[in-house]
Amino acid sequence: MTELLLNAIMNGILLGGVLALLAFGMNLIFGVVKIIHLAYGQCVMLGMYVVYTLAVLMKMPVILACIIALPVMGIVGVLLQSLVINPLLKAKANPLTQLLALAGLTIVIENMAQVVWGADLRGINIQLPLIHFGNVYIRTSNLIAFFGALLTLLGLYLFLNRTYLGLAIRSIAQDLDSARLMGINPRAIYYTTMAIGGLLTGVIAAFFSPIYAVHPHFGGSFTLMAFIIVVLGGMGNMLGGFIGAFIIGVVTSVSAVLTSTEIADILALVIFIAVILVRPQGLLGIKVSK
Amino acid sequence: MLEIQNLNVYYGEFQALFNLSLRVPEGETVITVGPNGSGKSTLLKAISGLLLPRSGTVTFLGERIDHLPAHEIVERGIAHVPEGGRLFANLTVLENLKVGSYLKRARSEFSATLKEIYRLFPILDERKKQLADTLSGGERQMLSIARSLMSRPKLILLDEPSSGLAPRIVSRVFEFVHQIKVQGYAILMVEQNVRKALQLSERAYLIESGRVHKEGTRQSFLEDPYIKKAYIGL
Amino acid sequence: MRTALLLIILTAFVVVFPHLVQSPYLIHIGTLIFIWSFITTAWSYMGRFGLISLGHGAFLGLGAYTTGLLFNAYGLSPWIGMLLGGLAAVLLAMLIGYACFRFGVIGDYFALVTLALGEVVALTLIAFRDITGGSLGFTLKSMGTSLIAFQSEEKIHFYYGSFAFLILALLVWKWIDRSPMQKAMRAIGEDEIAASTLGVGIIRYKMIITMISAFTTAIGAVLYAQYITYLNPHTLSGVPPSLEIAFKAILGGMFSLWGPTVGTLLIVSLEEYFRVVYGSTFVGFSQIIYGLALVLLIIFLPKGIYGSLQALFQRKK
Repeated sequence: MTELLLNAIMNGILLGGVLALLAFGMNLIFGVVKIIHLAYGQCVMLGMYVVYTLAVLMKMPVILACIIALPVMGIVGVLLQSLVINPLLKAKANPLTQLLALAGLTIVIENMAQVVWGADLRGINIQLPLIHFGNVYIRTSNLIAFFGALLTLLGLYLFLNRTYLGLAIRSIAQDLDSARLMGINPRAIYYTTMAIGGLLTGVIAAFFSPIYAVHPHFGGSFTLMAFIIVVLGGMGNMLGGFIGAFIIGVVTSVSAVLTSTEIADILALVIFIAVILVRPQGLLGIKVSK
Repeated sequence: MLEIQNLNVYYGEFQALFNLSLRVPEGETVITVGPNGSGKSTLLKAISGLLLPRSGTVTFLGERIDHLPAHEIVERGIAHVPEGGRLFANLTVLENLKVGSYLKRARSEFSATLKEIYRLFPILDERKKQLADTLSGGERQMLSIARSLMSRPKLILLDEPSSGLAPRIVSRVFEFVHQIKVQGYAILMVEQNVRKALQLSERAYLIESGRVHKEGTRQSFLEDPYIKKAYIGL
Repeated sequence: MRTALLLIILTAFVVVFPHLVQSPYLIHIGTLIFIWSFITTAWSYMGRFGLISLGHGAFLGLGAYTTGLLFNAYGLSPWIGMLLGGLAAVLLAMLIGYACFRFGVIGDYFALVTLALGEVVALTLIAFRDITGGSLGFTLKSMGTSLIAFQSEEKIHFYYGSFAFLILALLVWKWIDRSPMQKAMRAIGEDEIAASTLGVGIIRYKMIITMISAFTTAIGAVLYAQYITYLNPHTLSGVPPSLEIAFKAILGGMFSLWGPTVGTLLIVSLEEYFRVVYGSTFVGFSQIIYGLALVLLIIFLPKGIYGSLQALFQRKK
C-alpha cells in the first residue's frame, strides 16, 4: 500500500510541475490582459493535436514536431488576442460576458477538433523507459515533463525579471495607466502576453504528448484543473499558482489511487467551490474589494 | 512649446473642460491654480493622452498630439507625473526607474540618466532595491518625479506634487521642482499650494469649473486681490 | 394580451402541424424543441436577473436520475419520482444558493461555482457506476404505453405533452414577471449594493428564484428521460449540457418570454440540419457554428436575437 501511495505522491509531484506551467500561463494572462482564459486547456489540446499531426500523420521526428508546435501555438495565441479578446475589450464587456464568450470558444475549439481529427483517441505512441527506485516506478516521460517544466518556469522568471519587455509586462499588470505614461504600448504587450501564453500551451502539449493520448474533450478537464489551481493560489499570483499546482497535483494523484479518478476530480472541484466561497482571493492572494 | 486651443473634454456625458486655451513656452514653468474638481487633473490627462478630448487642439513642438495614444505622446517628450505618484508598488525603486526609461531613445542613455538622478536624489540610490510601496510619502513623490525624468522629456506635467505630504516634506518637494526647473525643463504644474508654486513659475492660469478665468504673469497673480484672498490666504 | 393571442395561434399551429406534415421525424424534432425550450425557459428564470448559471446540468442530472433509478428499482411512478427529483434539485439549489448569496458570490464567480457544481454531479453519477451505469448510462424499464409510468410508444403523446409543459413554464415566467419579486430582482440586477440598503431581502428573493428554476429544470430532465427512455450522464449532467442551455437562452434573448424558446428552436434546427445534410462526417459542425455565433453575439448583441428584435420594435413605436 505504501508503495502505491509513494508512487501516487511521486506522480502527483511530477504532474504538479506541468500544472504549474498551466497555472503560470493562466495567471500571466489574467494579470496582464485581465481576462480569465477559460479555453486554455483547449489550447493545450490543440497543441497536442498539432504534435500528433506532425509526428504521426506527417511522419516527422517527435522532437521536431514538438519544436514546431511551439511557434504554431504562439500564433494561435496572437490570433485569439486579435479575433476574440480585442473585440471583447473594445466592447467593454463585463467579466461575466467575457467568461461566456470564452466558454463559447471552448465549444468551438472542441468541436473543431472533433470535426478535423475525429472523436477517437490520438496518441503519438512512443514508449519511454520506466525508471525505478526500489519499488517506486517513475515514467521517463513524467520526469522529462517535470524538469522541463521547472526549466521553462525558470526561463520565464528570468524573462519577467531581467528584461525590459518582462518589466513592461509586469508594469501593465500593476497599473495600466502608469505603464502607458512610461511609453509602453498596451496593445503590443497584450499581444506579447498572449503569444507567450500560446507558446506555453505548446510547451505543455509537448510534455503531455508522450504521456497522454488526446481526444476532443481532453482540454476540458485540464482547463478546469488549471482553473482550480489558479483560484486556489490566488488569481494573478504567480507563486500561489506554483504552490497550488503541486497541492492539487498530489491531492488528485493520491485520492485517485485511494478512491477513483472521479472522486479525485470531485475533491478538486469541492476545494475550488470552497475557496471561492470562503477565501476568493486564494491562499496567497490579496483581498481586492470589488 | 505646448499650445492648447479650445479644448473640450468630456467624461461620458459630463463636460469637464470648456473651450480651454493655454500655452507653455519653452523652458518656462507654468502653473494652474483653482479649486478641487475644477478640471486641472483632467487637463493634464488630456495632454498626456490618458483622456481623449472631444474637440480642440493640443500642439506640442508644432505637432498635433490630441488624438495620439498615451505611449506615443510620451515618445514625443512629454512626461506626466500623476497625482499621488502612481508608482508600481510591487516593483523596486530601481525597477520603477528602469520602466521610466522604457522608450528606445531613453534606454540607450539609461546608465547616464540614472547617475544624474542619483545625484539629484541620493536617497533613491540608497533605497534602490526596496519595493516602491515601502517608501515614505516624500520619497515616493521624489521617485515619481525621478521616474518621469528617466524618459528624458522636454515637458513635465506635475499633478499636485505636494498633495498629502507634511509641510516639511512639501518644502523639499518644491526644492526638487526648482532643481528640475534649473536644468531647463518646461513644466506645467497643477498645485494647491499656490504661494509656493507661484514662486517657481513665470506664468499662471486660474481654472475654475473647467474654464480659464485668468491668465497672467506670476507678478499679476501675486498682486491680484481675488487670488490673494481665495488661494494664497493673505 | 398580445402574449395570449400569440399563445393561441401557436397552440393552434402545434395541434394542426402533425396532421399537415405526416412525418414522425419532424414530430420528434418538435418534441425535442418543446422539451429543451421548457428547460431553457426554466434556466432563464435565474438568467434574466443576472444569476447566470453554467451548471444547470446538476439539476438535470438530479431530476432525471432520481426519477429513473427509483422507477427501475422500485417501480415508483415517475410522476411521484419527478417531485422527489425536483426536491433533490431544490435542496442542492438551496445549499449552493445560500452559500453563494450569503458570501456575496455574484456574477462571474457565481457562474464558475455553478460550473464546478454541474461537473461534480456528473462525476458523482459516473463514480457510482454500479448503480447508475456510469458513463454508459442506463435504460428505463419499458412499460409500453402507460400514463402512470410516464411512457408511451406513440411519439405524438410526448409531442402534445411536452408542449403543454412548455406552456406551463411560460406561464410561470409570466407569473414571476408580474410578481413583486420581479421588481426587487430588477433592482438587485441593476445595483445590488443600492438594493441592499433599501432593505430588499436580497438573499430571500435570489433563493426563491433559484429554487423555482432548479425544480422546473429537474422536471424538464424527467420529461426528456421519459421520452428517450435512456439516461446518460454526458447529456443529462456536467458542463456540455449546462453550457448548451445557457447558450440557447442567451442566443434567443434571456430577458424575454419567448427568447429561450427562439434560441432553442434555432439551435436544435441548426443541429438537425447539419446532422441531416452532412451526416456523421461533420459531427460537431453545428456546434462550431453556434459556438462562433454565440461568441459574436455576446460581444455585439447582448440582448440575443429575439431580445434585440423586440427592442428594435419597441423603439419604433
